[in-house]
Amino acid sequence: MSQARDLALFVVGLAILAILPLFLSPNLMNAVIKMMIAALFALAFALAMGQAGMLSFGHAAYYGLGAFAALHLMRAVEMKLFFFPTPLVPIAGAAIGFMFGIVFGWLATQRTGVYFAMVTLALAELLFTLAPTWNSVFGGESGISTMRGASWGLSFGPDSHVYYLTLAWFVISTWCMWAFTKSPLGRLALALRDNEHRVRFLGFNTHVARTLIFAISCTFAGVAGALLAIANEATNYTIFSAQASANVVLQTFIGGAGTFFGPALGAATMTFFARVTSDLTRSWLLYQGLIFVLIMLFAPEGLGGIVSLHMRKLRAGSWRQLLLPYLLCLVVGLLLISGLVFVVESIHVVMTDAYFAKRVAANGAWVPYQFFGRTFEPLGLTTWAIPIMLLGVGSLLLPMARRVTATAWLLATQEQSPPSRDGQSPTGVRQEATA
Amino acid sequence: MEYIVVSILNGVVHGLLLFMVSAGLTLIFGMMGVLNFAHAWFYMLGAYVGFTLTRLGGFWIGLLLAPIIAGLAGTLVERYLLRRVHHYGHAHELLLTFGLAFIIEEIIKLFYGDALVSYQMPDYMRFAAFTIFETNYPFYRIFMGAVAIGMFIILYLLLTRTRVGIIVRAATYRPSTVEALGHNLPLVFMGVFAGGSALAGLAGAVAGAFYPTGPNMAVDFGTLVFVVVVVGGLGSVVGALIASLMIGLFISFSVGLNISIADFLGLFGLGNWASDIGGLFTLQLSTIANSMPFLLMLLVLLIRPAGLMGDRQ
Repeated sequence: MSQARDLALFVVGLAILAILPLFLSPNLMNAVIKMMIAALFALAFALAMGQAGMLSFGHAAYYGLGAFAALHLMRAVEMKLFFFPTPLVPIAGAAIGFMFGIVFGWLATQRTGVYFAMVTLALAELLFTLAPTWNSVFGGESGISTMRGASWGLSFGPDSHVYYLTLAWFVISTWCMWAFTKSPLGRLALALRDNEHRVRFLGFNTHVARTLIFAISCTFAGVAGALLAIANEATNYTIFSAQASANVVLQTFIGGAGTFFGPALGAATMTFFARVTSDLTRSWLLYQGLIFVLIMLFAPEGLGGIVSLHMRKLRAGSWRQLLLPYLLCLVVGLLLISGLVFVVESIHVVMTDAYFAKRVAANGAWVPYQFFGRTFEPLGLTTWAIPIMLLGVGSLLLPMARRVTATAWLLATQEQSPPSRDGQSPTGVRQEATA
Repeated sequence: MEYIVVSILNGVVHGLLLFMVSAGLTLIFGMMGVLNFAHAWFYMLGAYVGFTLTRLGGFWIGLLLAPIIAGLAGTLVERYLLRRVHHYGHAHELLLTFGLAFIIEEIIKLFYGDALVSYQMPDYMRFAAFTIFETNYPFYRIFMGAVAIGMFIILYLLLTRTRVGIIVRAATYRPSTVEALGHNLPLVFMGVFAGGSALAGLAGAVAGAFYPTGPNMAVDFGTLVFVVVVVGGLGSVVGALIASLMIGLFISFSVGLNISIADFLGLFGLGNWASDIGGLFTLQLSTIANSMPFLLMLLVLLIRPAGLMGDRQ
């Protein structure tokens, strides 16, 4: 029953993704390609993190190596050294990812926890600092670029070809990773995360097992990197930066490292969020950081955790009881968010050089500023009444919204017979709208 | 000779600066087990506070208030954020501070923009302390080194000679026993976190006036402070000092040396073979100077994860 439902969901999702390019503008299609690549990278990272509990702070190393491997292969094809079909280029990324995953993983998995994170960070930083000076392999600071070659009757010029190529690799890789979690090694990964000592007592060589799991994670990170290389046709050493490694950690935890599809959800959402907001405001990283911290504080299981909590706990039909409280939460959240955005963007406008020049021209007076197509007086009472009102009403309503939602949540899950195993409180849910 | 003396001077000062930034982190990491990713961002905060107060009131007021403000920020972070996620484990705390780093940087950028700000030392400090091999050696470098050494001495005495120091050191090893003896452990943690952040803030206010103060200053230090903490050993202030000096000296020496692995192999008659291979073998030491700290960190983690002066993992 549940399997049939999962299969149906999967087929519907695939069908939507398959016909999506017909409706998308080129810009949006590019965004969806990047979302799929980010989702694949996050899934690969979560294979090591969520399954085996290995917090890698340098996964961008394997992502970047995959990208460079793919570019070198495509370059060789372009120079007519030999022929290699473009759709199979990600295999090069996978191979390099696996190779380095084995070598680096062998070193890193000798340590656990924070020390493991430090080793992976050191390895990635080594690559990041070496790459710009190593011209023959990484093309120096400018990086290397190439063109996608035509193969299998497809030119791979238009974005739609790249879209289907990415989609195919995304689906195949995701299926492989899903199958991996069901395999004996995948089950062993869970055991390693929960109690490594006991696994060792059972007679497993935990170092080899951890190295293998890490290398498999790196393989798919390499595939994601290669897909990025195919989509962008260029890359440089910044792909190895701590920032890139940080991004995938961020996206995975926003999505929820505990569930299989959570990381993909988080990565796709945050990539899209970045794409939209980076055009609108320069402070988008601030908002991203705030979202991350709020999720860490109030919903440590991430978006995927919230979704799976609802799927596990809710009685059929009882979602109607939650509709109204969630609507209230949404309103409160919107009030608070718009108040915050107003303050941040106002500060942003007032602190720019352009505004400063205007002030100098007006002999230091606080001239009005344009914002959302409206004009505001920086020192006007009405200007500051808006965010104060938004934030004030929002924070007044917040405790009530939390109370109402908690009550409704209890009601909606009341007749569930077995009590929750993991002691999950509805805290995560209450904050859904505000986070 | 000139090269050696100048390199030693610069390396020691750079190392001392590195020590100032990472001393707080090694205390926090050693005691609370929290790998505070945002630590270098408190350094950045200190520099910007110093810059703002230098404009408003003067350099010394900035120097005095920067650690206080950074320490207050640290207190708030520990009390209202870190304590809430403590029971989810250390990885979770690390991730939280990681998001925090973004927020601190973006808020500073919101007010000061993406460009460098001109945070300058007062003019009366802008003179040459002495002349060495016809080069004037700036007094401010000596000043930075002196502040760092002063900080080290005070910190060392505080930890080894006072009651507070005893409690803090005891809490590193046996937190539950310390709590059972009636000490307020959460308060101790908060104090250590605030103190560590304040030290980073002071470092920012002192160093920001000499080095460029801009949005990238935290990222540049962000991972290097981890190298110091890991190499020096958990919670060991002496270890952090040694590791900082090592890294500072290493960087300042290697930027001026144009030798490569191929040259080294040339001593054994393998030079041509290595040059033909190229790649890693022909990279000059000066160009890969920045990679060396991470290589050191990697070696320490693999061979002696407790660090130079640490005694447990």
